[in-house]
Amino acid sequence: MHAPMSDVQSPISGRVIALHVKPGDSIQAGDALCTLESMKMEIPIEAEAGGIVAEWLVDVGADVAEGEAVARLRTG
Amino acid sequence: MSRDDELNELRHRTELAQRMGGPEKIQRHRDNGRLPVRERIDALVDGGSFVEVGALAGSGRYDQHGSLVDFTPSNLVFGRAAIERRPVVVVGDDFTVRGGASDGAVGDKMIIAEKMAHDLRVPIVRLVDGTGGGGSVKTIEQKGYTLLPKVRVWPDVTRNLATVPVVSLGLGSVAGLGAARVAASHYSVMVKETSQLFVAGPPVVERVGQTLGKNELGGSQIHTRNGVVDDEAASEPEAFERVRRFLSYLPSSVHGLPPRADANRDNPVDQATLRRVIPENPRAVYKVRGIVETLVDAGSFFEIGRQWGKASATGLARIDGWPVLVVASDPYHYGGAWDRQTSEKINRMVDLAQVFHLPVLHLVDIPGFRIGLEAEVDGVMRAGVRALTAISQTTMPWCTVIVRKAFGVAGAAHQHPDRFSFRYAWPSAVWGSLPIEGGLEVAYKAEIEAAPDPAAQRTAIEARVRALCSPYRSAEAFVVEDIIDPAQTRARLIEFANLAAPLRQPGLTAFGFRP
Repeated sequence: MHAPMSDVQSPISGRVIALHVKPGDSIQAGDALCTLESMKMEIPIEAEAGGIVAEWLVDVGADVAEGEAVARLRTG
Repeated sequence: MSRDDELNELRHRTELAQRMGGPEKIQRHRDNGRLPVRERIDALVDGGSFVEVGALAGSGRYDQHGSLVDFTPSNLVFGRAAIERRPVVVVGDDFTVRGGASDGAVGDKMIIAEKMAHDLRVPIVRLVDGTGGGGSVKTIEQKGYTLLPKVRVWPDVTRNLATVPVVSLGLGSVAGLGAARVAASHYSVMVKETSQLFVAGPPVVERVGQTLGKNELGGSQIHTRNGVVDDEAASEPEAFERVRRFLSYLPSSVHGLPPRADANRDNPVDQATLRRVIPENPRAVYKVRGIVETLVDAGSFFEIGRQWGKASATGLARIDGWPVLVVASDPYHYGGAWDRQTSEKINRMVDLAQVFHLPVLHLVDIPGFRIGLEAEVDGVMRAGVRALTAISQTTMPWCTVIVRKAFGVAGAAHQHPDRFSFRYAWPSAVWGSLPIEGGLEVAYKAEIEAAPDPAAQRTAIEARVRALCSPYRSAEAFVVEDIIDPAQTRARLIEFANLAAPLRQPGLTAFGFRP
């Protein structure tokens, strides 16, 4: 039986400049998962729901598009 | 027929109409997480206030003696009711009768509902749970010819948008005209998982090669992110609560004024917290909703459109009891830069304020329009100039508080450029035609390139320019009227709201409202 997974999508495009959690970490809604540089600002991407970080789909330095999945969470 | 028989027939016909699609169809509807239309109306309006219009409409079948043997009720239920003791018109589709298809409404019920709201000058709430307007392909055989599409209700829909609050809830799979009626509103809500909205549903879309489930094609996760629908609710009762709250800020029609709240005119939050809320690091973000909630009357901020046009948090609120429209930059989305959707949302909100006489509070942190290839491809400037034009056209009293950035053409749209507006800046404010980053290289290109050490020259010029960027220099030159202690902002807003209140004038605005 696999736990349900959900992808965290980036609401903005930008470059990943920091990851704040690692696979296995338990997170809650509102926690900052990573920070993007976008429009010269440092903008955290926050979890919309709680869960456990399963994996990162991007690394520091990656350019992500609006709506692109950046992390996978176990939500079960 | 005796008088008793006549009354008995009235009772009998009323009972038949109240059955809706019958127990089996109603149960299936409930099993899908949805309420029957009559329960929806009861849950939405003040208890016992619903007065139905057209309660006997439907299609009867008669035997050879002319006696009624079967009856299919109209699948459109409407009437007058009250919400918070103020009159409204409610119109709801009954999905349990012929899937809510609008040719099952019987006669002109939908049009009369819209006209009634217009002529009584009261809000209309549409509980939409039906499909298109032109009937099904079956109609071709029934009529013996094909219909040229015409949406007869649309002139009434258009007129109502200029006259009375129009609220629509998407409560099932709504397609075609149903989808259009939801989108053509001042405020719309979908229910997560149990409602979908599309031009055409999955079976039709499959013929263009896309095999998708209902929620994949038109769930609330799509339409509350693209702005077709304003908000999503977790359940139907939550959606009804949002309707009641939205209407509480508005007049019953443009011929009245937004009602002042009698209670809860205070905000106990320590206003001094605002002095530290803007980070010293200019690249860092902050939570704008907390600022709004500190400035307006406690608990009065009703956000609209949270999931789309995200560089601005917008909604209704009260200041000293007076309803106002709030537009507040959210730096979490491209630093507060206006992208296409944000521009569209601001346009929509400013028009809402104009139509219903709501003074506007604008909290500004706008680094400009969003820049770069994606923004250009998205056509940011078309939507951007529409927002600018809405701001130039509005005659509503306006108060701007510049909390951080105001740059470029979008920054200039922080208020109407040439009428009196209230305007304050916090000490954290910074503004200009172009940001120094990027703008400096353009303006001083020759000087930098000619220098023996271009990098050092660039740094020297930046230091020179930055020394002039204090907002106090601008205040000295009366470029901005006042820089205030953030903790004094709410007091200034209370003054604004009370001075603005008598300036509000009931009546139709010179231009209508394009949804």
